[in-house]
Amino acid sequence: MQTDDLIRSLAVDLAPVKRNMVGRRIAFGILGGAVVTVVMIMLGLGIRPDLSTAILGSSFWMKWGYTISLGVGAIAATIHLSRPDARRVRWPWLLLVPFGLLTILSAGELIRTPRSEWMALLQGESWRVCPLLVLLLSIPILLGLLWSFRRLAPTSLRLAGAAAGLASGASAATLYCLHCPEASATFVLVWYTLGMGLAALVGTLIGPRFMRW
Amino acid sequence: MRASEDQLRIMMIGGLEGDAGAYSALLAALVPLLRSFFGRRLRGADDDVEDLVQETLMAVHTRRATYDRDRPFTAWAYAVARYKMVDHFRRTRQHVPIEGLEDILMAEGFEDACNARMDVKRLLGGISAKQAQAIRDTRIEGLSVAEAATRGNVSEADVKVSVHRGLKALAARLKGEG
Repeated sequence: MQTDDLIRSLAVDLAPVKRNMVGRRIAFGILGGAVVTVVMIMLGLGIRPDLSTAILGSSFWMKWGYTISLGVGAIAATIHLSRPDARRVRWPWLLLVPFGLLTILSAGELIRTPRSEWMALLQGESWRVCPLLVLLLSIPILLGLLWSFRRLAPTSLRLAGAAAGLASGASAATLYCLHCPEASATFVLVWYTLGMGLAALVGTLIGPRFMRW
Repeated sequence: MRASEDQLRIMMIGGLEGDAGAYSALLAALVPLLRSFFGRRLRGADDDVEDLVQETLMAVHTRRATYDRDRPFTAWAYAVARYKMVDHFRRTRQHVPIEGLEDILMAEGFEDACNARMDVKRLLGGISAKQAQAIRDTRIEGLSVAEAATRGNVSEADVKVSVHRGLKALAARLKGEG
């Protein structure tokens, strides 16, 4: 095809583009996946029966504080990396701040607890399944994000994949809190982080393959 | 004549708002820039150059939502072109070192793309507010003299005189600075 013909065909039926389309598209992808994740939790795992009282407690907000702050950071990084002219930025290390704060909480918890009960804090009731459930619940959200990226233009595909994976993992972990009754910071620090890390790893591995354009 | 950052950006913003005329003018203006960009880096492979130009135009089109209206346009466009070239070399299994975006902008003569707006702001700050407004309206935002006159609630002759005197003052300042 001649280049002039191509230009003519591209300019035909030109649809206007709203401002901030990147943010909207990423929000749609995450919300679309999150709906599926919530359904999976409600049908497969069940909402924790004491949710209405738990939501008033500090351990619930310790968990949400951790997963939501990581999610916000990861979504911001995903939006940033979805533009071709994204420059290297200095703020990704901010993602370590929630991790650091939770580590402090966990250390305080361990100091206050006799050594014989440390394993109980670490393992809770559900350490075997928690990371895998977070990973499983992140899949619909990651798929939603891959849909978002079909119109976006990342140039470092591994990094964009990692950010999208972490965003889906942190969103899934946030929703998983609606089910999970665990209350110890040590548990969250180890198993939630592992689940979200696995989701980020999946994103890193599939990014170069599914985010090409 | 080669299009400048400001002209390209204004045409792109027009395209994003649905103006097909501005948009096809933009794509047409990109063609010579892209041909020389790819031509210099793929010496001799003319078919590949034209393929890459077309692929980049299509990518500019399908990914145009990722252009942020507040950022330099050429940096965005060359980032798309650079990605397409990396992809091309990956497909043909060549290993070629490719410069970073900053170096590309420099080599293509758009090194000012990143700080152009700041410079304009600084320069316009040095002349009278009325002249600065007239230049911003007609030369940067792309309004016609009549539109600028309506917006500023002054006569068309007034706008023309302001632009003329303002540009003269700017030129004098630039000479003084250089």
